[in-house]
Amino acid sequence: MGLNIEVHGLKLAYDAQPVLEDTNFTVDRGDLVALLGANGAGKSTLLRCISRILKPNAGSILLEGQELDRLNSKEAARKMAVVPQETTADFDFTVEDIVMMGRFPYLSRFQKEDSKDREIVKRSMEMTGVSHLAERSIATLSGGEKQRVIMARAVCQQPEALLLDEPTANLDIGYQSMLLELATRLNREQKVTVIAAIHDINLAVHHFNRFILLSGGRVMAAGRAEAVITPENIRKSYGVPATTYRHPLHGVLQVSVVRGPNPEESHNDGPAVHVIGGGEEALPVLELLSQQGCRISVGPVSAQDSGCRFAHFHSLPVVIVPPFTSMNGALKEEHLQLMRDSDLVVVPPIPFGEGNLPLFEEVETALDEGKPVYIIDLEGADQRDYSGKARQMLEGLVKKGAIVMEAIEDLAAVVCPGGGLENE
Amino acid sequence: MAGLVVLLFASAINAMVLGAVSIGGRNVLVILLEALPLALIFEGAEIPPVHEDILLQIRLPRVLLAAAVGSSLAVAGAVFQGLFRNPMADPYVIGISSGAALGAVFAMLSGFSLAVGGFGAVPLFAFGGGITTIMLVYSMARVGRAVPVMTLLLAGIAVSAFLSALVSLLTYFAGEKLHMVVFWMMGGLGGATWHQVRVMVPYALAGYICVSLFSRELNAMLLGEETASHLGVNTELVKKILLAGSSLLVAAAVSTSGIIGFVGLVVPHFVRLVAGPDHRFLLPASALLGGTLLIATDTLARVIIAPSELPVGIITALIGAPMFVYLLKKRKKLRYFGGGG
Repeated sequence: MGLNIEVHGLKLAYDAQPVLEDTNFTVDRGDLVALLGANGAGKSTLLRCISRILKPNAGSILLEGQELDRLNSKEAARKMAVVPQETTADFDFTVEDIVMMGRFPYLSRFQKEDSKDREIVKRSMEMTGVSHLAERSIATLSGGEKQRVIMARAVCQQPEALLLDEPTANLDIGYQSMLLELATRLNREQKVTVIAAIHDINLAVHHFNRFILLSGGRVMAAGRAEAVITPENIRKSYGVPATTYRHPLHGVLQVSVVRGPNPEESHNDGPAVHVIGGGEEALPVLELLSQQGCRISVGPVSAQDSGCRFAHFHSLPVVIVPPFTSMNGALKEEHLQLMRDSDLVVVPPIPFGEGNLPLFEEVETALDEGKPVYIIDLEGADQRDYSGKARQMLEGLVKKGAIVMEAIEDLAAVVCPGGGLENE
Repeated sequence: MAGLVVLLFASAINAMVLGAVSIGGRNVLVILLEALPLALIFEGAEIPPVHEDILLQIRLPRVLLAAAVGSSLAVAGAVFQGLFRNPMADPYVIGISSGAALGAVFAMLSGFSLAVGGFGAVPLFAFGGGITTIMLVYSMARVGRAVPVMTLLLAGIAVSAFLSALVSLLTYFAGEKLHMVVFWMMGGLGGATWHQVRVMVPYALAGYICVSLFSRELNAMLLGEETASHLGVNTELVKKILLAGSSLLVAAAVSTSGIIGFVGLVVPHFVRLVAGPDHRFLLPASALLGGTLLIATDTLARVIIAPSELPVGIITALIGAPMFVYLLKKRKKLRYFGGGG
């Protein structure tokens, strides 16, 4: 099983509008390939060329070295099955009827479906988990169920290659991963070559091991996730700035589209704000201040901290504590200087432990020097306190004039032009 | 299916019994059996020879013709509805009827006395007009190598409208032949002859065999052309064959009986509502039910104001439409075709 597919110099234009321009790639037997690319990059068009719906203007597609054109319709359908984005099914065929249609390429005109065909239909329905729907009319199923039935039909076709064209675009997240899991299972157990056009890169990296990135009808990058899914490639093909990071649990690459630092558009006319500490809890604060046009500084944070990554991405001043060390005199001075350069200091709802308690000293110094200090969510501090002393220290700051805020969102009123800051 | 066969025979026998001259049911059977080349002689049956003539020379060919026309229309309707995935499609949807009408009206008005193989000019021109129209529509709908069904449908509607306008124009100037033209367009089986049966039945059979061989493909086409193609259906070829087959059916029907509406639209829906969309059942069942329906309605058309008769097209619509609405109400929803779940 498994099919080797080669695409050479494929060209196709709709009404003189080129969609594919000299597309080349090879998919090996048993590959599990995600076809990525922006809308209009040519993903669907490419799949429709391979599934013989469209005829390319130039170039060739080879299956196992054999020209695709040479096959007749049934031969092609025995080699390749297709799961489209959506199937209109608004008539009373039962699920079993629909799956049985997958046997079409194996039956000659006067041949009836026999027990072998019925057995294959049964197994296909079991594998895709639609056996209980066998007698139901396809028109009464939900989108997710319907797509699984279509998958069952594809399995029933016993193909060597499975082409999926945005198969998950209309499904909820549960059905999305269920469907792709089915495709990977076919690939793993029966060595079926899988090519899937997928919009959701973050979903694709969980299930596929090879990626082809199309842009403007050409292959921009192909290979493993690390080689294909880079901020640079994403920016060039999708036209948006993006960052990549490792999934915290699975370690696979993930993409996030961000409003990057854009010097022309940014209006850094808000107040200067120093945000204490980092960690995931500080990120919403940083994002909010950034959107409000504040000049931000961050610290102290460790180098792997998400607050630190934020600071680097936006080229912000930051105090970095080297791993496994504590704040020395020079770093403390640096931290104090950042606070002095700011108009106000924010203590986000971060966790407190013995390690970061010393930074209260610097905050207190800043407060003494007349810097406004805002503490967010004092009430919730107990749950984040691993030292047992933070509540007490925070309340000490409040006594000295620090202002308590209930929620991060309240900061917006303080830092926006004409907000609380000028009034004080 | 067996029930439908019985129904067909019952309506056929009934049709031969009823009429301006009533022939008893037993006598009908006797005449029919004696006419078979089995040398069966029923002693003691006193049947007036005139009855025998009425039955064998007038009613029997008419019943057979009604069966052939009715099943042709119903099968063609089922094929077009499936091919276009459109419940509104009927045998005339892509203009065969208006093409045939134009041919027929032209023949009537010009008064050609052409006769080929025992046929007058009207059926010949009607047949030619229908077939020419479908070829025209097909070539107009061609986009590159493919003929998308939606384009085909739209081209058919446009051509149909254009030809209908021409027919209206000709009708307007029809003068004393107006009655003849209007009567033809309403459709009817009056004056059916054995000769017509002998010509019509092979066409109907050929068309039927042609489309029914592709029932499985037609099922796949219901899921959309692309899906059918993914399943291994050579869609362009299948479309061509199905179009050719059903056009043959319709052209043959129209040229023998004029434009009989409603049978081709309603019968396939009727069968689908009861038995689902599988064309392997739908096509033969539609053929049987279509034949039955036309025999029954034609009988009514003959007896309702006997000895004169109504155009059968009026009866099919008068009876078929309320029956169809009743079925729709009963089933609440057209679950196949865009009815959703």
